[in-house]
Amino acid sequence: MKPIRLAMSLATCSQATFVPASFVPAIFVPAILVIATFALVILAFPTPVFGAGNGGQEMPPKGSVSEADGLKAWQRIEAVVTHPRCSNCHVGADNIPMWSGPSFDRPRPHGMNVNAGVSRIGVGTLLCSTCHMTSTEPNDVPHAPPHVGLPWQLAPVEFAWFGKSGAEICQQLKDPARNGGRDALGLIEHLRDDASHHGFVLWGWNPGGNREPVPGTLEVHIADVGLWGAAGQPCPPN
Amino acid sequence: MIQLTVNGKERQVDVVPDMPLLWVLRDELGITGPKYGCGIAQCGACTVTIDGLPVRSCQARIGLLEGAQVQTIEGMTTKPFRAVQQAWIEHQVPQCGYCQTGQIMQAAALLATTPNPTDDDINAAMAGNLCRCGTYARIRTAIHAAATQLSPTHSTES
Repeated sequence: MKPIRLAMSLATCSQATFVPASFVPAIFVPAILVIATFALVILAFPTPVFGAGNGGQEMPPKGSVSEADGLKAWQRIEAVVTHPRCSNCHVGADNIPMWSGPSFDRPRPHGMNVNAGVSRIGVGTLLCSTCHMTSTEPNDVPHAPPHVGLPWQLAPVEFAWFGKSGAEICQQLKDPARNGGRDALGLIEHLRDDASHHGFVLWGWNPGGNREPVPGTLEVHIADVGLWGAAGQPCPPN
Repeated sequence: MIQLTVNGKERQVDVVPDMPLLWVLRDELGITGPKYGCGIAQCGACTVTIDGLPVRSCQARIGLLEGAQVQTIEGMTTKPFRAVQQAWIEHQVPQCGYCQTGQIMQAAALLATTPNPTDDDINAAMAGNLCRCGTYARIRTAIHAAATQLSPTHSTES
């Protein structure tokens, strides 16, 4: 992969304002517009503050949070991790990203028969980066492929969340074998690190293109992971 | 001022950094092989290669491309490309032709990484390139023909 160059930052997107004089009429547009209509909820959250952070300072001492409060924090975490902005690319071994959410009448596979393959980045099929540029700026054009500051890819297959219950995902997130070898502090550090790259986590709160963002803010989410971790990562019953 | 290499020639363009590469190619550099179909990476008509990989040029903003190597169909000279070009002619693939530069660029990229693709390989790689004339069957046939042409065991004398 060489599209690392595409990770360079950009000025604010205003692609829709360009009208090239040499255009032939857009003969494909009618067919293309049949594809998804996107959510009408407009982003209303300020960009979270992010940086290297110190997960140790962001998690209360273990045992200082009750199990009941930990479960309440998990409910807010669950609303994030089951949201389409997150779960659509946390898919299983079929390697097919999903399109789902308020603007779809039902969940459906990513358009254009996309399959990210075992590489999870489209090697041998169609590279995610063919359409999803690597950029720290969001792609605000409705229906256009989103950007993040990391090469576009599916989450590792052992992190499959799509279609699973909150209780199942909770068990996954506390299992180092299925969360990248992380304890609660490690999860917070992962969130901070991703945000420092303008990665997929941060994108969830600023997805552009009239997509519905995940609920809350990154800061609230990190605080909830800290509470959940301090409470011993309690999970609801299956 | 942004510098990049297009079809082997160093070019400088003085445009805003969020201008899509497709606009730069067509309106600034007069390279009209890449076509505008949708502007949102849903059709593939604008496909070029950047640093050897296929990319929808309507999505690649020029500010990302300082120093990049861009190839459009006008500058393609690779062996897979020539085989694809010949197969496209032999099998008379295009109908209206509008999407075909993107189809050919994507097909050449496929053969560069998958020299002997199956139908499933072709379907997976080409599914993002739409053809409203429905030339998909001929596209697939031509890609197989190009793969055969490129095969080490292929003899032009047979």
